[in-house]
Amino acid sequence: MKLISKFILIYLAVTVIVLGIGGYVSYFVIKDELDTELKWRFLDRVERVTYLIEHGKKFHNPDKAKSDDDRHLMVTQLPQSTEPSVQVRDTLVWNERLQQMEPNLKMVAFRTVNNNSYRIATYGQLVDTDDITEAVTKILLWILGMQIIGALGVGFIVSNRLFKPFRETLERIKNFTLQDKEPIPAKETNVKEFDDLNRFVQEMTHKAVKDYINLKEFAENASHELQTPLSIVKGKLELLTETDLSPEQYQFVEDSQRSIKKLSRLSESLALLTKIENHEFVEREVVNVTKMIRESTQAFEEFIALNGLDVQSDLAEKVTMQIHPVLADILWTNLFQNAIKHNIDNGSIDITLTEQSLTIANTGQSPEIPPQQLFDRFKKGDSSSNSIGLGLSIIKRIVDQNNYTISYKFEEDWHTIRIDFEN
Amino acid sequence: MKLLIIEDNEDLLNNIRTYLKREGYICESAENYSQAFDKVMSYTYDVVLIDIMIPGGSGLQVLRELKSVNPEAGTIIISAKNALDDKIEGLELGADDYITKPFQLPELHARIKAVNRRQQRDGKEIINVNEIAINTKTMEVTVEDHPVDLTPKEYELLLYFSSNKNHVLSKQTIAEHLWGDYVDHLANLDFVYQHIKNLRKKLENAGADNYIESVYGIGYKFKVTRQQ
Repeated sequence: MKLISKFILIYLAVTVIVLGIGGYVSYFVIKDELDTELKWRFLDRVERVTYLIEHGKKFHNPDKAKSDDDRHLMVTQLPQSTEPSVQVRDTLVWNERLQQMEPNLKMVAFRTVNNNSYRIATYGQLVDTDDITEAVTKILLWILGMQIIGALGVGFIVSNRLFKPFRETLERIKNFTLQDKEPIPAKETNVKEFDDLNRFVQEMTHKAVKDYINLKEFAENASHELQTPLSIVKGKLELLTETDLSPEQYQFVEDSQRSIKKLSRLSESLALLTKIENHEFVEREVVNVTKMIRESTQAFEEFIALNGLDVQSDLAEKVTMQIHPVLADILWTNLFQNAIKHNIDNGSIDITLTEQSLTIANTGQSPEIPPQQLFDRFKKGDSSSNSIGLGLSIIKRIVDQNNYTISYKFEEDWHTIRIDFEN
Repeated sequence: MKLLIIEDNEDLLNNIRTYLKREGYICESAENYSQAFDKVMSYTYDVVLIDIMIPGGSGLQVLRELKSVNPEAGTIIISAKNALDDKIEGLELGADDYITKPFQLPELHARIKAVNRRQQRDGKEIINVNEIAINTKTMEVTVEDHPVDLTPKEYELLLYFSSNKNHVLSKQTIAEHLWGDYVDHLANLDFVYQHIKNLRKKLENAGADNYIESVYGIGYKFKVTRQQ
């Protein structure tokens, strides 16, 4: 839910509650006012009647009254003298016209005029509570209606104008990538909170970019620092082979060379993994996978023949991927080398390429670790092998970064790795 | 041939110098940017090896300066970074080749030779090893004027041997030179033997001496005793 809709909803909910309470209170206030007003009017009437009696006016028996007004006034002379007092009470009176009992206010006053006590009773219809309710409700609905229109209007203005800098910042955060190495600059707005946010975003992105550059530099420097001493050792060993060595000594040198090679490959692979994880290969181009696979199988032909492998391929024509070309090459080379390396003598490799997926299967020993761990770093399906255990991790990284899915299964001496281009 | 090696690491510099001096090259060295700049500006070299990361500046800057005063000089960038950006920038600036640490000295040497060959204008495209003549332009090999029919790999192999005469070249070294990174994961390098066997046979059939000597199953040596 959008912030502004939420805001409007809360605002309206509060309005409804407030109006509800307001209506309730208004009802009693209005009713009270009206009743009081009626009381005052009756009191006036009593005073007037008293005044008239003082001046000798005779009042009819109410039964003989002609008008409605007269009927509501009953003046009776009392036999004994009574203290002047006023009684007010609610009562129900039959209404002829409406054919129902209606609430009335009845006032009975005792007055003494010229030593004669009179009972002056008068009553009149109270304003119907239903009418008050109806009026109050009507007013409240009008107010609510205007509030809704107001809230929507304010919401519209707020979300369009007031929140514009916020939305802009959000958009810039969305479009932010570390690779550009550009922090998001804080833009001045005239709202303090947005300024705070923008400054915070600027600081954060600045820090992220700085850390990213540091990390990248570290990865590269680490690789650099490692490669130089390796180069030196390698060179020294090469110079050593130039001297007169015994066959045993040659063997030692050769073994050392192999380890150096492995070490150097390890650091290169780790640097590569770091680079992929740092999203350094994000620019995508159209890569013709069919062509790439054909060319690389040709390049490997010799090794394939030498290992007595039989390679069957079923490639759809002109299959393309949107991927960084370096990654495409690394992905395929790793897959194919894996298939060759972990094969058995006179084994087979099956390559199937369709528009949707790439499947490479090879014969081989069953893996020594659970399949789901194969893609972890330094996990090797064959612990005795000469590999460094990063090949499948690299493949997994590349696959993840391009939103492909990869699956592995081992069935009847066949290792099958399948990559689906569409997820 | 006169070489300038721009490399800040003394040990590595010594390795390169020792190896190349045996080949009879004149090797000068520079260990930082200002030395490199001075030497590049003051003297001419046939081939300059440039490490990108040197104290006081960038090897790429040296390359730029060098190309402005002496565009004829062959240049090879040595870098620990297998970074694509550096490679592209280096090659765009006019470097002739790019080699990544850790490299093999025979490989470096082969590349120096190749770069130098490209710099030569006329008549130098023929490499003579006694009775064997290798034409690097037409990629033809003759033994006493009889053409020898070699496959591209065998030709590469012979060229590599001729660049590293009398050095022990391990199977790994040879394999990496001929097939590059493809051999990275292969434990079995017997295919190198196949190619060497074929090359040896073809050369001998054409009447050449057997120069390719096996070294205790470690590798091979192209042994040329008579200097041409």
